[in-house]
Amino acid sequence: MATTASTTGNADRRLYAPYLEATWGIKNHWYPALFSHELAEDGVKGVEIAGVPILLRRAKGRTYALLDRCVHRGVKLSLKPTCFTDDTVSCWYHGFTFDVVNGALVSIVASPDDPLIGKVRLRTFPVEEHKGIIFVFVGDEGYEPVPPLADDLPWLPPCDYDYRAAHPLDDETVMLGIRRVGKANWRLAVENGFDPGHVLIHRDNILILASGRSMALGYRPLNDEAIKAFEDDGPKGLMNMYGTGNYEPVVNNDRLNIKSAARREFNFTGVRTSMFLPGVLMVENFPEKTYAQYEWYVPIDDKTHVYWQVIAGWCPTPEDRKNFEFRFKHYFEPVALRDFNDHDLHAREAMQDFYANGGWQEEALCSMDAVIVSWRKMVARHNRGIQEPPTRRGR
Amino acid sequence: MDASAVMSTVRLCFRDGVERAIEAAQGESVLAAALRAGVPLVHQCESGSCGTCMARLVAGEASLLPGRALSLLAGEIRDGWRLTCSVAAAGDCAFALDYASTVLDGPQPAVLAATVTALDWVAKTVARLEIAIETADFTFESGQYVRIRVPGTDAWRSYSMATTAKELPRMQFLIRRLDGGAMSAWLRDACAPGALVEIEGPLGSFGLTASKGPRLMIAGGTGLAPMLAMLDTLRQRPGPRLPVLLCFGCTGEDDLFYVDELELRRFWMPNLKTRVALMHRPAGVFDGAIGTAVSLIEDADLRAPGLDAFLCGPPPMIEAARGRLIAGGVPETAIHAEHFRPT
Repeated sequence: MATTASTTGNADRRLYAPYLEATWGIKNHWYPALFSHELAEDGVKGVEIAGVPILLRRAKGRTYALLDRCVHRGVKLSLKPTCFTDDTVSCWYHGFTFDVVNGALVSIVASPDDPLIGKVRLRTFPVEEHKGIIFVFVGDEGYEPVPPLADDLPWLPPCDYDYRAAHPLDDETVMLGIRRVGKANWRLAVENGFDPGHVLIHRDNILILASGRSMALGYRPLNDEAIKAFEDDGPKGLMNMYGTGNYEPVVNNDRLNIKSAARREFNFTGVRTSMFLPGVLMVENFPEKTYAQYEWYVPIDDKTHVYWQVIAGWCPTPEDRKNFEFRFKHYFEPVALRDFNDHDLHAREAMQDFYANGGWQEEALCSMDAVIVSWRKMVARHNRGIQEPPTRRGR
Repeated sequence: MDASAVMSTVRLCFRDGVERAIEAAQGESVLAAALRAGVPLVHQCESGSCGTCMARLVAGEASLLPGRALSLLAGEIRDGWRLTCSVAAAGDCAFALDYASTVLDGPQPAVLAATVTALDWVAKTVARLEIAIETADFTFESGQYVRIRVPGTDAWRSYSMATTAKELPRMQFLIRRLDGGAMSAWLRDACAPGALVEIEGPLGSFGLTASKGPRLMIAGGTGLAPMLAMLDTLRQRPGPRLPVLLCFGCTGEDDLFYVDELELRRFWMPNLKTRVALMHRPAGVFDGAIGTAVSLIEDADLRAPGLDAFLCGPPPMIEAARGRLIAGGVPETAIHAEHFRPT
C-alpha cells in the first residue's frame, strides 16, 4: 500500500501551506454577518467571525460594526444591548460608552469626567449592506485600501451569456436565504461546495428526482479547460466548466454494477459551480433556470462556521418578488436549502474529526480532486492575510 | 507650561541603572511631567486605580493630587510606593522604577540558550541550521540577526534569521561553509539535533521600513537569509501587496541554494519577481543569468517612484550595489544595507 504522503506528495502540500495555516479563516475580506431583517432599527446584535466578536448596531437607518468586547473588562456589549443615544453604544456592565462611528470612549455612565475618556477606543469595521445582507470587512485595523465588496463576491458573467442567472450585482436581483451553524472547519465546508465528485450524496435527493433529472455518479475533468481560474483584478476564484465538454459525467461503474439514469450528456443546462475568495459559492441556474444559489461558509472559530444559503432571483416588479417569496418559502427553502443541502452539511461535519486531527497531511486525494487542490493554491496565493488564532491576537 | 510656575527636579531611576532628570510643575503629576519630557513611563488608567504606574519614592517628598482614590494599600505607601499618575513633586525628589528604561523600546538583546533541532546542507557550501530557543518572550524583527557562540569556544558569529518571529521558538539560519572557519568546523564535526548553543540577540536595525513604494532586494549568497524573513513578513503583513524584486547572486553551482524556496515564495506572492545569477557558468542546467546579483539590476527597476532598496551580502557586493543604485538615481536614504564578513 502506498502511504498517503506519496499519493499527492508533500511538495504539493507546501505550495498551499498558507491555506493549511488558515484554520481560523482568511482576513481582510468581506463576510456576511447578518440578514438585514435580523437587525431592527435601534437594534444591537453580536456575531463572531473568524474568532472576532463583532457588534452590529443600526441607528437612524445606518449600520455600524464595532468590536464586541468592552475595553474595560472584556465583556460582550451585545449580551445586553444598552444604548442611550443614537450615536453611541454603551456597555451594560459599567456604562463605558462608545461612539458608533469611530469607537472612541466618549463617556462612562458613572464616571463622566474619567481621565480614560477620549484615550481608548473600540476598533470599528467597515460595513456594507447589499441586497438584504449586512457584510462586514473583517481583518487588520487600518487595512487600506478596503477593496470593494464586489471583489469578494462571485465573478459577474457577461450580460450576453446564454445561460445568465441572477447575480447579487444585478439591479433586479432579490436575495432570500437562511443561515445556520455547521460543525466543521470552514475549509471543509468550502471544499464540499464545489467538489465535482460529491454529487453521489445528492443522487437520492427529492430536488433531483422530483424534477425528473438524475445525477451522474460524478464529474471527471477531461483537460485543463475544465477549471477556469480567475486571478486578474476583481474576484479571485475557480469555476467548474460543467456542460462545456471539458467535464465528463461519470454514468457507469462496471465493477460495482451501477448505472446512473443520467444521460451521458449534461442534463443540468446552465448549471456551473464556482468558488471565490473568501469562500463564496455560486451555482448558476440552480435550483431552477435563471435562479442562482450562493453560499458562504463564514468561520466562527476553528471548528464551526455559519453556513449561509441564499437564492437569488430576478424580480423586476413587486409582483415578481411576491411570487419569488412564495416559491422560496414553499419550494426552494424546504426542498433545496434544507433537504438537498442537509446532505452537504452532513458530509462536511463528517470530515471534521479527521481533519482536526492531522487529516490535512493524511488524506488520499484522487483524480476528481484537482479543483480542490487548485482552490487551496488559489487561497494560498490570493488571500489578503491568514487569520491568527485568538490567543495570538492577545485575547 | 507657564514659565513662572515653580518647577521641581524629579530624578527617575530605572532598574537598568539609567537615570533621567525631568522638571515637574507644581500640581503636575509625575507621570504627566515625564511624558511631557519624552521619558516613557508605564501607565494605563491615569486615575489612580489600575496601579500600573507604581514607583517607589526614594528621596524627597511627593503629594497626592486632589480627588484621587488610590488602589495602593497603606503598607505599600509606608514602604514608599506611589502612583506616578496621582502624585506631584513637593520639591526635588527621586523615584525608583521597577523596570528598565528601555522597556517601552521593544525587544532588547540578551544572551539566551537554544537547542539545535535540525541541520542540513542546502548546497555543497551552505548549511541550514535550525534551533529552538527556550525563552518564551524572545522576539525580533525580520532582518535582524543574532550572534551564535561556536560551542566549546569563545568565538561568536553573526547570522541573520531566515525565518520570522511567527515561527518562534524555531529559528533558521543559512551558514556558508568556510574552510578553516570555527563555525564550519563545528557544523561539520559536532553539530547534531539536541546540541546546545548560546545566542545573543536580537541585534541590528536592518529590516523593512514603513515604505509605501516598491522594494528591491539584492542578496549575495547567504545574504538571502534576512530577505526570506522580510519576504515572509511582507506576505503576512496587512495592506496592499506592493511589487518586490529580489536579485540573488551566488558564486557557482556548488553555492546555489533555495531556488525552490524562491519559487514557492513567487507562488505565494504574485507581487514578487526574482532573478538569480551565478558568477561561474555551471556545468548543469541553469536558467538564470551569468553575473552577480548587482548585474541583474536593470535601469527600469530603479526608476520606480518611492523605491526602497535592501542589500545584504559580502562588502564588495554591498559597495557595487550601492554604486549601481546611486548611479541609477536612487537616493542614499532609500538604500538599507546589512554587511557581513566571512568569519
